[in-house]
Amino acid sequence: MFLTRSEYDRGVNTFSPEGRLFQVEYAIEAIKLGSTAIGICTSQGVVLAVEKRITSSLMEPTTIEKIVEVDKHIGCAVSGLIADSRTMIDKARIECQNHWFVYNEKMTVESCAQAVSNLAIQFGDSDDDGAAMSRPFGVAILFAGIDEKGPQLYHMDPSGTFVQFDAKAIGSGSEGAQQSLQEVYHKSMTLEEATTSALTILKQVMEEKLNSSNVEVMTMTPNKLFHMFTKEQVEEVIGRLSVEHPVSLNVGGSQKV
Amino acid sequence: MSLALRPSFPDYESVSKHNNFNPYSDNGGSVVAIAGDDFVVVGADTRLSAGFSIYTREQSKLFPLSANTVLGCSGCWCDTLTLTRILKSRMQMYQQEHNKTMSTTACAQMLSIILYYKRFFPYYISNMLVGLDDEGKGCVYSYDPVGHCERRTFRASGSAGALLQPLLDNQIGKKNMLNAKEEPVSKEAALSILKDVFISAAERDIYTGDSILINIITKDGTTEETFQLRRD
Repeated sequence: MFLTRSEYDRGVNTFSPEGRLFQVEYAIEAIKLGSTAIGICTSQGVVLAVEKRITSSLMEPTTIEKIVEVDKHIGCAVSGLIADSRTMIDKARIECQNHWFVYNEKMTVESCAQAVSNLAIQFGDSDDDGAAMSRPFGVAILFAGIDEKGPQLYHMDPSGTFVQFDAKAIGSGSEGAQQSLQEVYHKSMTLEEATTSALTILKQVMEEKLNSSNVEVMTMTPNKLFHMFTKEQVEEVIGRLSVEHPVSLNVGGSQKV
Repeated sequence: MSLALRPSFPDYESVSKHNNFNPYSDNGGSVVAIAGDDFVVVGADTRLSAGFSIYTREQSKLFPLSANTVLGCSGCWCDTLTLTRILKSRMQMYQQEHNKTMSTTACAQMLSIILYYKRFFPYYISNMLVGLDDEGKGCVYSYDPVGHCERRTFRASGSAGALLQPLLDNQIGKKNMLNAKEEPVSKEAALSILKDVFISAAERDIYTGDSILINIITKDGTTEETFQLRRD
């Protein structure tokens, strides 16, 4: 991929002669080491599902938090360097609260993504505002939210680029999962369909066997807004999987790390 | 040494003079706003004065902030100039940042915060923000100089505010009347009450007069109207 790798892949504020910022590209690569996260946006709401890598049986699975509430109407799924994601989620939460404080209204999902994007590109030289991040953030974020435009899903990568999606997968299994999403997604999907599809796909790209403690599921609906599934609710969805999808989807070339 | 024996040196005696810093001036003016189910009318007199002199007889004190939001200001004119410029730029910044026009309700909250940020050196202005809310209903927000904000259906503020509010309470709020109940006011009735109360104010308040500028906001936009008052 990087044939002319040279001294240009060191500094975060130096373009290579071909006009590339290698550190940013490497950061995007770092996401592909992260656990898989899937988001599907339907007209009824948005669903986020992520895998949790339980690397040891002595580990407490509930302490791994990959889906977080930013505001009542915005939730995020993260993949990559989780420590980096804390800073960005913090920023998103502050911006949402500040928007409510100043304008007495919910921040739109797009504006929230924009605010986090502004933070994502503040690496490089530090300025008057204080020390800047010395490297790009190594996280990709899925923003699931509801505002006056209805349910929406945004994806943001370490370059700060954010794009709206109907369905998006990030993390190690993203390539295969994205392909499957393309096959199953349709505009008239119900939220329940989307939830089962998300878990079906997650099941296929995960190395471990999917169960109620190694996945997190969240829905964002106009009535309940941010709703994290309880263990029982996750089990219920898992119970539906084998029945509704007897023939598993063909997930080709899913790469696992 | 006792005081009586102290020698006196008149040339070196100084009387402590208090040079009071007076950053504010009251340039008068009144604003009246009345909201209905699907409209809001706001009027402000056009006299700009200081003490017994009139600076101009044709100064608009209404500032359109968006297609359905108007701010009426009375008090210290220089503060009004600054505040309205800040608001204009904040409206534009919001539009560009969020790809939408700021709603009247959002603007109301923002104004409250802008005012409170100058809690200890306030803008000496009586503000009145009017517009249509998210449901298309008329709304009137009135403020004190440090940002206390209150939503009402009718309000008078400025130099004749205290004179006009009881009149509105009676005519629109149907207060202190037997067998009268408050009901939504029509646009035509609101306009005629607005003109009537200004005529009354111009009779008694020397800082209110010359003419009134009226803005009528409906879902179709803002229309303007003027009405002559006594000019003495």
